[in-house]
Amino acid sequence: MTVMAGVATFTGAVGLYPLFAEGGWLWGALGSVIAVGGGGMLARRLRLPAVLNPLLGLAALLLYLNAVHAGAQSWLGIIPSPASLRYLGEVAADGWHAANRYAAPVPLVPGIALLAAGGVGLVAVLVDLLAVRLRRAAPAGLPLLAMYSVPAAVREDGAGWAAFGLGALGFLALLMADAREQVGGWGRLVGSAPWSGDVPMAGTEPEEPPAAGPRGGGLAARGWRIACAAVAVAVLVPALVPGLQPRGMFGLGGDGEGGGGAQTVTTPDPLVSLKRELTRLDDSIVLTYRSDDPDGPDYLRLYALDRFDGDRWTYSALKSSGKDRLRGRALPRPPGLGLVRTRQVTTRVRVRPEVRNMTFLPLPYAPERVSVEGDWRVHAPSRMVYSLRDSAGGRSYTVRSVRARPTAGDLATAGNYPAEIVSLYTAVPRNVPPEIRALAGDITADAATAHGQAVALQRWFTETGGFLYDLSAPAPQHGSDLADFLLRGRRGYCEQFAASFALMARLLGIPSRVAMGYTPGTQVRPGEWVVRSRDAHAWPELYFEGSGWVRFEPTPAGTAGQGTAVAPPYSRPATGSGAQQPDAGSIEPGAPGPEDEPTAAPGASADPRRDGGGDTGPAGVRDEGDDGFAMVPWLAAGVLLALLAAAPMVVRALTRRRRWAVLAPSGTGGTPGAVSPAPAVAAHAAWREMRADALDHGFEWRASDSPRAAARRLGELLELDEEGTRALGRIARAEELARYSRTRPAEPAERLRTDVRTVREAFAASVGRRTRWRARLLPPSTVAQTRESARGAADRAARIGERAGAAARRLGGLADRVNALPGRLRRRP
Amino acid sequence: MAVGTHGDSFMETDPPPHRGPAARRDQGGRGGGRDLDGLAQVANKIRDAVESVIEGKPKVVRLALTVLLAEGHVLIEDVPGVGKTMLAKALARSVDCSVRRVQFTPDLLPSDITGVSAYNQELREFEFKPGPVFANIVVGDEINRASPKTQSALLECMEERQVTVDGVTYGLERPFMVIATQNPIEMEGTYPLPEAQRDRFTARISMGYPDASAELEMLETHGQASPLDRLAPVAHAEDVRELIDVVRRQHVAAPVKQYAVDLVAATRTHPDLRLGASPRATLHLVRAARAYAALDDRDYVVPDDVQDLAVPVLAHRLLPTAEAQVERRHPEHVVADLVRRLPVPGPGK
Repeated sequence: MTVMAGVATFTGAVGLYPLFAEGGWLWGALGSVIAVGGGGMLARRLRLPAVLNPLLGLAALLLYLNAVHAGAQSWLGIIPSPASLRYLGEVAADGWHAANRYAAPVPLVPGIALLAAGGVGLVAVLVDLLAVRLRRAAPAGLPLLAMYSVPAAVREDGAGWAAFGLGALGFLALLMADAREQVGGWGRLVGSAPWSGDVPMAGTEPEEPPAAGPRGGGLAARGWRIACAAVAVAVLVPALVPGLQPRGMFGLGGDGEGGGGAQTVTTPDPLVSLKRELTRLDDSIVLTYRSDDPDGPDYLRLYALDRFDGDRWTYSALKSSGKDRLRGRALPRPPGLGLVRTRQVTTRVRVRPEVRNMTFLPLPYAPERVSVEGDWRVHAPSRMVYSLRDSAGGRSYTVRSVRARPTAGDLATAGNYPAEIVSLYTAVPRNVPPEIRALAGDITADAATAHGQAVALQRWFTETGGFLYDLSAPAPQHGSDLADFLLRGRRGYCEQFAASFALMARLLGIPSRVAMGYTPGTQVRPGEWVVRSRDAHAWPELYFEGSGWVRFEPTPAGTAGQGTAVAPPYSRPATGSGAQQPDAGSIEPGAPGPEDEPTAAPGASADPRRDGGGDTGPAGVRDEGDDGFAMVPWLAAGVLLALLAAAPMVVRALTRRRRWAVLAPSGTGGTPGAVSPAPAVAAHAAWREMRADALDHGFEWRASDSPRAAARRLGELLELDEEGTRALGRIARAEELARYSRTRPAEPAERLRTDVRTVREAFAASVGRRTRWRARLLPPSTVAQTRESARGAADRAARIGERAGAAARRLGGLADRVNALPGRLRRRP
Repeated sequence: MAVGTHGDSFMETDPPPHRGPAARRDQGGRGGGRDLDGLAQVANKIRDAVESVIEGKPKVVRLALTVLLAEGHVLIEDVPGVGKTMLAKALARSVDCSVRRVQFTPDLLPSDITGVSAYNQELREFEFKPGPVFANIVVGDEINRASPKTQSALLECMEERQVTVDGVTYGLERPFMVIATQNPIEMEGTYPLPEAQRDRFTARISMGYPDASAELEMLETHGQASPLDRLAPVAHAEDVRELIDVVRRQHVAAPVKQYAVDLVAATRTHPDLRLGASPRATLHLVRAARAYAALDDRDYVVPDDVQDLAVPVLAHRLLPTAEAQVERRHPEHVVADLVRRLPVPGPGK
């Protein structure tokens, strides 16, 4: 039992793996589990009261942790001394800081390892006390569950299904051991041996007593079945139900081509990290860089969050494969970048070695060529550069980027959006409050173009809206938080500004996304810039055909805002920028380059989205974007659910068809008097069909009922009219004759078929409406069929398990014999 | 000495001489000598006759008749006074054949049943004096009051339908049926029947108390004179022999045979039973099911027949374990439970 409790704790602890960057903590956890188990066992051996049980376990845990982590400071290397305890406290404090500093997975610094081992050890103490000492194995699942819920709460993707299954099996094993011990307390099962040997039969071989009585065996098999099914359901259902796991079954998938298949990239939640960076007290240097951009460097982007799920901005799952590796190659031209002026910028970045877990590279948009050591990959649509195992900490890299320099005119006369951009970047879930939509419309009522709308939005956010930059505002968790920010509170930091700006842009039909990274920082020497953690920033990017993704800046800058944020020139209101207008005009001929707008002249209607004339155009585009994108998974899930729900009905209909189809040729073509197997086949078909109907309508069907007994019982249950009674009797008699008599039933197949229908109507008439609908939609007869086959599969699995157990026992026997060998050899003369 | 021919007024025939096999074949060999309809007719007549004496017990009467047609022996067990002997006598008297009655007592000897070889002074040789078993129907009253030794005297005649005395074997005439009555073994002065003998009885019938109305009616009919006195034979021994042949030709489908075998086999592995049913029990079960089906005017056996007969045919052969006995799980319950649980053979998937 002690061992089982330890095993359950340890398997439960395996579920913590997503929290740690390395696997070494597992050994620490194993050590503390063993230490606690030993302490508990000692307490029980000494017959100490239950109160002392956890105390002894805790003492053992302390001894263990002290010996491992502060052995040098202890007496004799193991006995805790004041110095070693103080040291332990320091290490734990370090660990605590580290845990608060890093987003999961955290690196395995000694403090973290200590905390992990200690935490697992505490759980082990509780489990040991509950399951072993107090004999309450079921409540012992609570601490295990608490342990499992930690990664589920911290990591958005939670722990893997395998870890969960392992933990669940460990807990089940604990329950099983407990039950077995309780049963064992009653002694052997009484009266379960079929032949107790009282009446030996002459000439029979003495039978070997079965290992377990038939009842015990049956129960055990059923227990196995239930346990396996429970774990399988718990693992499979969330994987199959859409919406519970963002990436579907086991997070696998991808394009399959390229080296070694695709792999989903998971990283700490960027938004959580952002808030943490912004509020760090020490404001440490993250990176330094040199840039040859004469206008001053652009923002350094880490992430592009392209998906708004109703609550937060996230990036779509990255499917990474070998072909995404950078390998120093030039990247293709960024999307949408057309004929606006661009400038090549070279930036040399040096990330400080203290930076941990920076798995995305901060790069100025849009990188063309990145020279960096290690396995770095690029996500082509967003130009994010990331690594599956390397961190940017301590690295230096050079990036050549192309910086678009659109003017306000360029943007104002931008062409139509490509369809895939619209579908990807204007999708908004349905649950966005209509007030936000109305607000966006009000703010941009005077704007004629997408650019005008964006400028109006930015002006509203930074000047006229009355917003206040406030780092103490809580990070937005839900869609309602954004609505609060926009409609009521109007206090927040860059995350709220960027998120709501991008959301409103989407509501207006402008493709948008939220970028995260760093502002340019501060210049320390000419051409050399320093970026600190408080330069972390989020900003919206809007798409304009011809210019690609361009940055806007809704967050207030300066001392009352994000200190180093700069609003790009094209995003400022056009007042006094008359000089730019001719400039824009001169560019104009080139702007309407995109070939996807062959009919409407760009000059005629400035806004690319309103060129359709009338309201249906933009509305249609937007609705398609909204619903089409957001609805696809729901639609698929709905179709899948519908298919699943319809499956029993379809199976039932197919079975019915198949049954009657068997006798169709002989039933129609055969002569009634001919000696053919058809009558018996028809009788069997009718009988099976009636049986299925009875099951469907919730009538009990006993396997021990003969046809006439079944018909009698059904006749008593149903309120049958004369015709119904006759029909039921005919079916039963035909089946009885077909089964047991030499004479074959004389009923023609068609008659039986009509009879079955009559009886089915009688079934339907004598049950409630709910049962009737269930019989149609979810016929239990097919469910029973499925259950039978599932039971067969489970039995086979259990048999395999038993065989494995038997093999293990044989192995154990072999080991015993080997152990006994020296003794036997000695006995020989 | 309580042995002797029945002293009542109904006709008693001398034990007829043993007929050879050839003669027997002549009697029933035509196959179609009597068909199912004829059987039902005769059987109904016997049934009505018996029911005129035993009121309100159609099931018991049908079972007794089933055993008669299955060439078996029946053990009627119940507390005194519920009409065991009445049933035995009524059945015996409905059929016009030789009937002997043996009152079993503790001092009864085996030779009192089988007969003895006595020295004939005139002929100066041993002469065999047949005992009461040389009859078509032998009514053994309170069979469990005799010692096991005497009870065992019935073993040979019941199973093999022959008697061996002093090395000479004498055959018995068809039909041969032992109708034994016994009190429950908890009663005073009773010996339990040996397993071997119990196994030779095709069925054990429990009479049970009559319901109130039947008991009231009984007061009316039995008040004036015994209804047994008014009972006249309604069938001849020859009729019964033909009926038995018809029953033998009844069709038993393979699934039904399998079902019977499964049912009997299940008693052998049941945890509540120390001794399961023997292969002879399977034989008796199927034979009785044939007769049961014939009485239902059917020429094939259905599992319902086997189910209806399972308790009467199997229960008295089973020995419960000590635990089951303590917990009052009687073999009847075990068999009924098995019948409820064993799936009937179907047409397959």
